[in-house]
Amino acid sequence: MSESADRKTTKQQRAEARAEKVRAHQQQEAARKRNRRIATVSGAVGGAAVLALVVTFVVTSAEPQQRPQDIEIAGLKEFPNLPATHIDPSPVDYQKSYGMEVPAGGDHSQIWLNCGVYNQPQQNENAVHALEHGAVWVTYDPQAATEADVEALRAAIPDQYTILSPYPGQPAPFMASAWGAQIQMDTVSDDRLTQFIDRYWKSPNAPEPGASCSGALQGPGLVA
Amino acid sequence: MSHSQRSTGLTAFVVTVLAVVLVAGSLIIGRTSAGADPQPTTRSAEAGFARDMQVHHDQAVEMSMIVRDLTESPDIRLLAYDIATSQSQQAGQMFGWLATWGLPQASPEPPMTWMHRPIPQGDSHAAHNLPAAVGEVPAVMPGMATRAQLDELRTLSGIAAERMFLELMIAHHEGGVDMADAVLERSDYPVVTDLAGSITKAQQSEIQLMEELLAART
Repeated sequence: MSESADRKTTKQQRAEARAEKVRAHQQQEAARKRNRRIATVSGAVGGAAVLALVVTFVVTSAEPQQRPQDIEIAGLKEFPNLPATHIDPSPVDYQKSYGMEVPAGGDHSQIWLNCGVYNQPQQNENAVHALEHGAVWVTYDPQAATEADVEALRAAIPDQYTILSPYPGQPAPFMASAWGAQIQMDTVSDDRLTQFIDRYWKSPNAPEPGASCSGALQGPGLVA
Repeated sequence: MSHSQRSTGLTAFVVTVLAVVLVAGSLIIGRTSAGADPQPTTRSAEAGFARDMQVHHDQAVEMSMIVRDLTESPDIRLLAYDIATSQSQQAGQMFGWLATWGLPQASPEPPMTWMHRPIPQGDSHAAHNLPAAVGEVPAVMPGMATRAQLDELRTLSGIAAERMFLELMIAHHEGGVDMADAVLERSDYPVVTDLAGSITKAQQSEIQLMEELLAART
């Protein structure tokens, strides 16, 4: 060991101490930077992983799904526990017996109305038998509905298992009735019509869904 | 300096590998946790088939019941009886699927849309001649008779009614086979492929029978 190495000047000692401090600071800084980078990258990776999980789950498992019987329909009128006796040839007073202004189930004729688009009013007792088979009956007040309204209704409902007909004197411009359920509408663009179809068209709520809606009575004024 | 560059490179490499592994793992977990055999959704080929084939079958039942009232021929009456009862039963199966899957019987989109979505890739039937775009959905289901044709059938009787019934029903069955083939190309859902498979077999053999019955009436 040389004397000069052994006995450093104060200046040298201070310089070394400073250099040491600077090195330590640089190391700390580098470590901090690295940690920050790791945090950022792993955060991004974690985020991507969560996103991937969510995306695959959504893509493979489902569009959001709601069971038909759980669809909520504003202003829905329900008629539970209806009888379903064939009463030919006596007429049924649907208003008096069940409080229905347009029939939505109950006793009815043995002869069901064939589903289709009619431009004349139909017999209640026949139409109700079609409701028993799962049909939806869409009616309009002929004094309120335009031709364009009728076309719009036709386009909005399925071709099968539906009856479309005028119903003079009904309490709303447009109505949709199924076995035990009914809505009233002021316009044909009412979203509740689709909800009603999704919930009640060929519904297990009807006593005999899927039983025929053809091959019986073809009412007057069949258009399609 | 060069040492710290190397360690940065290494960190980046490790992080990239980790990222790939993690994302791929998540994709796999997401897929498997969604269920190996997920229930068909409302716009699936399975649900579309269940809805449209009910409509198709309902018309076959209607035509069969019409012709039974128009003819005394035991061959035709038995054929019509067979078609009406078996297709009613099958339509009921499809009705039940939708109820079990918690789906509306009503379709959220025009009939036949499912048939015109691209066939899933990697399928050996991918060359099948179907339009790929959903925009090309035809207005009429394959093989469906028009209301005018059914009205005409009702005015006939005897051999004339039998001939028209056979012609309409052969076309109807051919359309039904096309629909069943379309779902077989798009689905692995067992209860659906089982029924679709038996529909193609049964209807193809009935087409043969009906062609013989028709030839005997020329």
